[in-house]
Amino acid sequence: MEEKKFDRERFDRLAEEIRYVTTDMICRYGQGHLGGSLSLTEIIITLYYRIMNIRPEDPEWKNRDRLVLSKGHSGPILYTTLAYKGFFPKSWLATLNMDDTRLPSHVDHNKTPGIDMTAGSLGQGLSCACGMALACKMNKKNFRLFCIIGDGESNEGQIWEAALFAAHKRLDNLVAICDYNRLQIDGFTEDVLGLEPLTEKWRSFGWQVFEMDGHDWDDIYTKINMAAAVSEKPSMIIAHTIKCKGNKPLENKPECHYVRIADTETYHEIMDGLGCKDIQLPY
Amino acid sequence: MNFHDMEMRGVYAKTLKEFMDKNPNVVCLEADLGKSSGTVPEIQEKHENRFIECGVSEANMICIAAGLAKEGKIPFCSSFTSFATRRVYDQVTISVAYANNNVKIVGTAPGITNGPNGGTHICFEDLSIMRAMPNMHVYSPCDPYELRSVLNHMMGEHQPTYMQLIRLKVDPIFNGQYQFDPNKAVILHNGDDVTLVSTGYMTQFALKAARDLASSGTGVDLIHYPSIKPFDVETLVKSARRTQAVVTVENQNIIGGLGGAVCETLSEIHPTKVMRLGITDQFGEVATQQYFFDKYGFGPEHIASACRKMSKTGAVYQNKV
Repeated sequence: MEEKKFDRERFDRLAEEIRYVTTDMICRYGQGHLGGSLSLTEIIITLYYRIMNIRPEDPEWKNRDRLVLSKGHSGPILYTTLAYKGFFPKSWLATLNMDDTRLPSHVDHNKTPGIDMTAGSLGQGLSCACGMALACKMNKKNFRLFCIIGDGESNEGQIWEAALFAAHKRLDNLVAICDYNRLQIDGFTEDVLGLEPLTEKWRSFGWQVFEMDGHDWDDIYTKINMAAAVSEKPSMIIAHTIKCKGNKPLENKPECHYVRIADTETYHEIMDGLGCKDIQLPY
Repeated sequence: MNFHDMEMRGVYAKTLKEFMDKNPNVVCLEADLGKSSGTVPEIQEKHENRFIECGVSEANMICIAAGLAKEGKIPFCSSFTSFATRRVYDQVTISVAYANNNVKIVGTAPGITNGPNGGTHICFEDLSIMRAMPNMHVYSPCDPYELRSVLNHMMGEHQPTYMQLIRLKVDPIFNGQYQFDPNKAVILHNGDDVTLVSTGYMTQFALKAARDLASSGTGVDLIHYPSIKPFDVETLVKSARRTQAVVTVENQNIIGGLGGAVCETLSEIHPTKVMRLGITDQFGEVATQQYFFDKYGFGPEHIASACRKMSKTGAVYQNKV
């Protein structure tokens, strides 16, 4: 794949801004899925700025690459990225979860330009992505299917049904990424329902498996491209991430999955945790 | 074409194959029950590349169908009614209905027609739970010609749909001229004494009861509902205003399905005494059709008896007595 221009400083700044805006969106509403949004920041930015073939001005463009955000509760980080790419006005970001919003807490393809599949009830998105990847092959199209699942989501039996199916059908146009931040609502993944050895599980299901540092620009870019180049097999990238990455006081804390802002003081506490300076909200 | 001698599943497979012959976007999905729904070997052999075997994973099948539909395919997926609805209720709710994906779900062997498989496989609530789902269209054809027409309608409409498919051979009620209209119930027998409402598998028995009663002087207005949702309010209310007494019969739990729809409608628009026949809030069991009819009281003779009884109630309200 042709390398799109990569300016590390610019991307660091972009990630900082997208984290700041996403956190503000959630906190001004008063509650939301912060941890699993921030853990995906670098991955989502890399997909939309460096990897995926998209046309923000034509969100339904038939030959675009698709992303199914199976862990649909991470919608906020995707909305911010889509707005920054120009899929819709940044002013919409201030409406997250508000009455009549087009940006609901879980992604909805009937409401938001750029959302390729409705998701949120965990375990379903990977199967939907399999259907989309299969249709792509039947239609002899070359677009690619990216699908992001959660580690907690991997408790769902349907994930493993989809794993069997994708390997059986040799869906090599499907690249799945597991946001392995090792935390879910009730605690650490290994305490709630152990996933290890996760890499071996996916490999034994017939997938080509990669691991990456989900916050390292180079590693993300390299591994996604390697996964996309695999033939005859679907690919799974286990992304080692830090839940609520970028907000130091909340990083890797079980309570960061879903934050509630009781008052102005809590709002400032969480915003200050990002340690950002000189960022203007775009709404 | 003559479908008199075909099993309903044979008609389904033949019709679906015709769609696939004509339209390269039509796909058939199965979850290891293709032989049961008739698509194996009919479609598996003729359209190998568009026959998608998902194995025993109904949840996966429904969401794969949603993904295919999202990309412009027209998926028909089938399984027993129990597995096509209650087992995958959340997948159908979210990935099909809420997402508004053009998926056609075919539930085979409804209610007592799955008798040999018993309580684990019999579903008496699919019409009830599916009609409670926004965006979902719910059909229950009663004979091979209506099945053909319903399938043609489904093929032409871009919307989430659930259809009950009786697998067995059913004697035709209609002919090749029949045209299904989801917004219109079908009056199969005219009478002024009692309104009888039926759908799907029970319509053949309701018709027999109506005809038997005609010879003994009870006039039955028999309304068959091939579409449970949308539900034709006008035909029901018009008949109920005249007869003042309604009997419903369905191959389902009497809670929430056809009887439920009738009661909801009438209680709001024209409160009328209703007697609901069907399974009285029990699970299925391994049993013959006659056993179910006798145990729960909804075979042809029970329908006739209920109609006679209710016609007397109706007569009071009609000031005939």
